[in-house]
Amino acid sequence: MSHHLFLLSPSDTPLYNLTHYSSKPSQSTSSPLASNLPSWSTSAFAGTLTALSGASSATQTQHGQGGTVKIGAGQDRHVIQMIANASLDAIEEVMRKDSVMYLKSVDKFNEWTVSAFVTPGNMKFVLLHESRNDDGIKAFFSDVWELYVKTMLNPFHTAHTPIRSAVFDSRVRASAKKYL
Amino acid sequence: MASTSKQYKAVGEDLWKGRTEKINAELFALTYGALVVQLIQDYEDYAEVNKQLEKMGYNIGTRLIEDFLARSSLGRCADFREVGEVVAKVGFKSFLNITPNVTHGAQPVASSPTRTSMPPPQVNAPGSTFMLQFDENPLAEFVELPEEALEGGLWFSNVLCGVIRGALEMVQMQVQAAFVSDVLRGDETTEIRVTLTKYLEEEVPVGDD
Repeated sequence: MSHHLFLLSPSDTPLYNLTHYSSKPSQSTSSPLASNLPSWSTSAFAGTLTALSGASSATQTQHGQGGTVKIGAGQDRHVIQMIANASLDAIEEVMRKDSVMYLKSVDKFNEWTVSAFVTPGNMKFVLLHESRNDDGIKAFFSDVWELYVKTMLNPFHTAHTPIRSAVFDSRVRASAKKYL
Repeated sequence: MASTSKQYKAVGEDLWKGRTEKINAELFALTYGALVVQLIQDYEDYAEVNKQLEKMGYNIGTRLIEDFLARSSLGRCADFREVGEVVAKVGFKSFLNITPNVTHGAQPVASSPTRTSMPPPQVNAPGSTFMLQFDENPLAEFVELPEEALEGGLWFSNVLCGVIRGALEMVQMQVQAAFVSDVLRGDETTEIRVTLTKYLEEEVPVGDD
């Protein structure tokens, strides 16, 4: 049972992502650090988002190549990101109506549910998960929010840039282990 | 009248409590952090940044000592050992509300030809040192040094060394203060070593014969 976490800036730039398998104690090596966000993934975001929806709210200014979108459920990385992206529209819709931070599950795609959390600074935390775990996920989001705020307070961190801190990474993983 | 370390602690505590203008710790840490980051961007050389921080601290220290002496109304310290105690327990306490641990080091062996036996540690002589060990550092809350800063040898809180040097120079002591270790760099402790270089003679005011 795996979870995928994405931290997105207000302009929907991916700043951090994490894949967490809660069955195994050891973390996956599937590149959780933000250094794994090369230009292809950003372009995949742009490509899939514009391909999927005619949503006018998503004003992506990134000029990405149309990423090859594989339709179908599964653990494929492209699909995961596609799902996360597709949920952004739903998130923004809910954001406009309600002004709560924890938006429970905003979207569903085959077996994946997408939960979102929007911080007061308009950072979006998107979590893809298979099972229901509202309380755990809420606690996890709060934890991630706290860790994110502490990272932002680091003078050496520039706002809205990918988060590469190892301390942040290890703490998010520990929190994921605890709550998910 | 030798003041004990407990008395110094009490004085420090009183001074801290007596201050009406305190500042939010987060704001302070953020301001200092922004300052360091800006210096790094301007100078792009970590050794130079260290030097600038120390210089800034020196300027602060020369002014700070007046405020400190006025409020604390402490007299002249008997020896360098006492200086260390006062700096740690009263100085740092009243300005930053932290009390670093002080450990005193004796001077290196003097190669004086007139003595045949090892002279007892003269705590008043040039070469005396004391170490300040910090459990907490309000300047460095939330700070994580990036790789380049670690490799470049940045001492994030180097301003403190300058403050110590500047303040003590105004009371006729020339010292060298430098960081020995820093938890931001991955070391176990954060420590500053202060070494007495010499006592400064009273300067004759310009114009006198």
